[in-house]
Amino acid sequence: MKDILSIVFRLTLTCLMAATVMGAAFIFTNKAKKHNEHVREERTMYALLGYSEAKPAPASIVLHQIYRYIITEGERQYVSYLIPLESGKPGAPPTYSLISLDLQGKMVDQKPVAIDGEKIREREDRDRAVMAAVGPGKDVHFADHTIIVTENGKRIAYLLGGKFPGFKTFINVMLALDPSYTMVGLEILEHEEDPGLGAEIEQDYFKNQFQGKSIKTLKDLKVVKEPLPAEYQQALEGGMAEADMARIMEKYKDKDIYALTGATISSKSVTDGVKGMAKKFAYRLDILDNILKEQQIAVSF
Amino acid sequence: MNMKLRQLLLLAFVLLLPGVLQAADLIKEKSFSGANEIKVLFTGTVDAAIVGDISRYIVYEENDPDIKLALTAATVTDGGRGVILKFAEPLNSANTHVVSIRGLNGAGAVDFKVSKSYLGYLLSILISAMLINNFVFTKYLGLCVFFGTSKRKSTAKGMGVVFTIVMLVSASMSWFFYQYILIPFNLNFLQIVVFIGLVSLTVQAVDTILRKVNPVLFNSFGVFLVLVIANCIIIAVPLILANSNYNYFETFMLALGAGGGFLLALYLMSSVRERLEIAKIPSSFKGLPIAFIVAGQFAMAFLGFSGLKLF
Amino acid sequence: MTNTKSIGQLLSRGILSENPIFKLALSMCPAVGISTTVMNGVMLGVAVFFVQVFSSVTISLFKDQIHPRIRIPTYTLTIATWVTVIDLVLAAYMPGAYAKMGIFVKLIVAFAIITMRLEMFACKENVKDSFWDGVGMGLGFLVGMVVIGFVRELLGSGTILGYDVLGFKPLLFFILPCAGFFVVGLMMAFFNWIEVFYKQKRGVRS
Repeated sequence: MKDILSIVFRLTLTCLMAATVMGAAFIFTNKAKKHNEHVREERTMYALLGYSEAKPAPASIVLHQIYRYIITEGERQYVSYLIPLESGKPGAPPTYSLISLDLQGKMVDQKPVAIDGEKIREREDRDRAVMAAVGPGKDVHFADHTIIVTENGKRIAYLLGGKFPGFKTFINVMLALDPSYTMVGLEILEHEEDPGLGAEIEQDYFKNQFQGKSIKTLKDLKVVKEPLPAEYQQALEGGMAEADMARIMEKYKDKDIYALTGATISSKSVTDGVKGMAKKFAYRLDILDNILKEQQIAVSF
Repeated sequence: MNMKLRQLLLLAFVLLLPGVLQAADLIKEKSFSGANEIKVLFTGTVDAAIVGDISRYIVYEENDPDIKLALTAATVTDGGRGVILKFAEPLNSANTHVVSIRGLNGAGAVDFKVSKSYLGYLLSILISAMLINNFVFTKYLGLCVFFGTSKRKSTAKGMGVVFTIVMLVSASMSWFFYQYILIPFNLNFLQIVVFIGLVSLTVQAVDTILRKVNPVLFNSFGVFLVLVIANCIIIAVPLILANSNYNYFETFMLALGAGGGFLLALYLMSSVRERLEIAKIPSSFKGLPIAFIVAGQFAMAFLGFSGLKLF
Repeated sequence: MTNTKSIGQLLSRGILSENPIFKLALSMCPAVGISTTVMNGVMLGVAVFFVQVFSSVTISLFKDQIHPRIRIPTYTLTIATWVTVIDLVLAAYMPGAYAKMGIFVKLIVAFAIITMRLEMFACKENVKDSFWDGVGMGLGFLVGMVVIGFVRELLGSGTILGYDVLGFKPLLFFILPCAGFFVVGLMMAFFNWIEVFYKQKRGVRS
């Protein structure tokens, strides 16, 4: 009996100590983790726009975050966009609004969302704010995240984040489009493809093939199982003079994607995923822009 | 959480009463056919003027309800009992599609979902965990126990069976713990401790029960129970589950596939190693080194399964 | 009886005579799975190193308080705690490297080598010896991972730590997933051969 008591007591004490250590570690690291994730995300965004630490982005460049939600109320579904509004005064913190459209693309309502620019980036805080704004009894489901980049108030690019099934698990990417929906760049953020085979999707000679593809080319972009031409590979990897590079990139602009050797399925997954993302985004943004113009909603982008 | 429960009940219902749900509907069968077609078969003859009219259809992917897919033709087939919908662009058959026909059933619209069969999906998880993503040969997990217990066929079979049973029980428990405790209370960082705790608990419980219920079986299989806990597959499966947001049936299939795959790997390996013992091998390769080379050859052979798509 | 062991002996035992990868053949999964580059090897090696040292020291500190009947659960809990801490720290401060190692950091919890050292050494010896034993074993694992990573990265992609040293890719095969088995198997055979070779030489001399 005494034995059992002693065992229970010691086990409890051990668990308590373990819980303290883990809890402390969690609290200490959680903030740093979120911060580093943001830093990494932002670095990727600026890299896609052509900026780096050596060449920082000017202050006239502003990133506007747009979050798309799907809201279900009984049988009916709405597509809602959480967008920053024009603040009026320069330097004032942006206010946010949730614009709901029905499935036919007609505006349903506009509701203010109480959230600030820091909190909006945390998924949980944002979901809570949106739920509070739409009211109870509705199912709120986060769909995707888009960034509209402006320079002196003029749109220069769109950045889309997305995730699609790859060969093994999911591939997480970010792609950049210019205002006419032509691909500016592609960055592979996370994947679990096989090293030496599918993992090559993160190499320049594969992901840069998407550069310069117009939305029209993208719509029926295919993957071909042909060897990558040597001059194209050199241009993709950036190992030549800029004029030559531009000429070769121009030459292959409307060509299909050359599959990676031994990783056709990974190549095809990325191509189809990117294709779908760009197509859907172009379709949706046109509708949203029309609505914003019709309703004369002053947005910051 | 409620969604999960509802999903479970619904699934049980669908599995138990096939046909009943559909008979209430007008739709008998619906499936993807070809790259850009959906085939629908009705329970009776329908008005060809209505089903043949593409302007009466609204088709979209379940996740993107605002994007309507463009139809190019609706051809009435089977003497007015079926219709083939042709789309402008290839469909992504991995996603569930929602089809809605106006005017077929009075004034209202008839909605139905077209997706790949769920049983097929479950089977594909099983096959994938067993062959395509075999935990030993393509994910390189559980190697210590794998090399330790693959010397004899009898040992291999015993270890494989015990491991599969413990795997199923512990993965099920882990799923419930993860869905109903770790996620709601935001305790995700305790994953490792909770999962390893549950595995130890399962091993201890199986040990106690087996010892009481069937001592004969315990004598032959008891030794493997200790080894189960040192096998990283048993802790990898709950961690993978936590990442991929599976429901219970999918969890069960993954656990079964992981266990079955381990059993298969052990059996194959032990068959080779029994023969290797009487073969002439350079002395420095004897034992583990040659076992690694053989495992490498198996891994290469298993690469051949990659890209296999059954359903 | 082991009180007379010096730091050097404790270290060399972990790195050479009882190397966890090549000699004890424990904790093989990461050695095969993610040893495609030196950097991966270093990262996981360092993670294991810290878990081993922290766990050894913790168990050694509290060895008199641990009830013998709940010895193993206590070890598991200790290891799981330290793995969680390392996992959180890596995820927070080195997100890039952490993403490459995937599930393997969490799987350190199931490494037989750590439990074995706790059971065989840390629960009997004083804190200082346990610390050095942990350091030795951790380093042994680190060295093993780096050696395998070196061979695979050099032969597979012609680089070392990401720097191009060969200028070409000799054999893509070596960074393919299944080559891990071959590299580990061949290296084990090589070490066996060296051992046999030296024993024979010594035998001839004496």
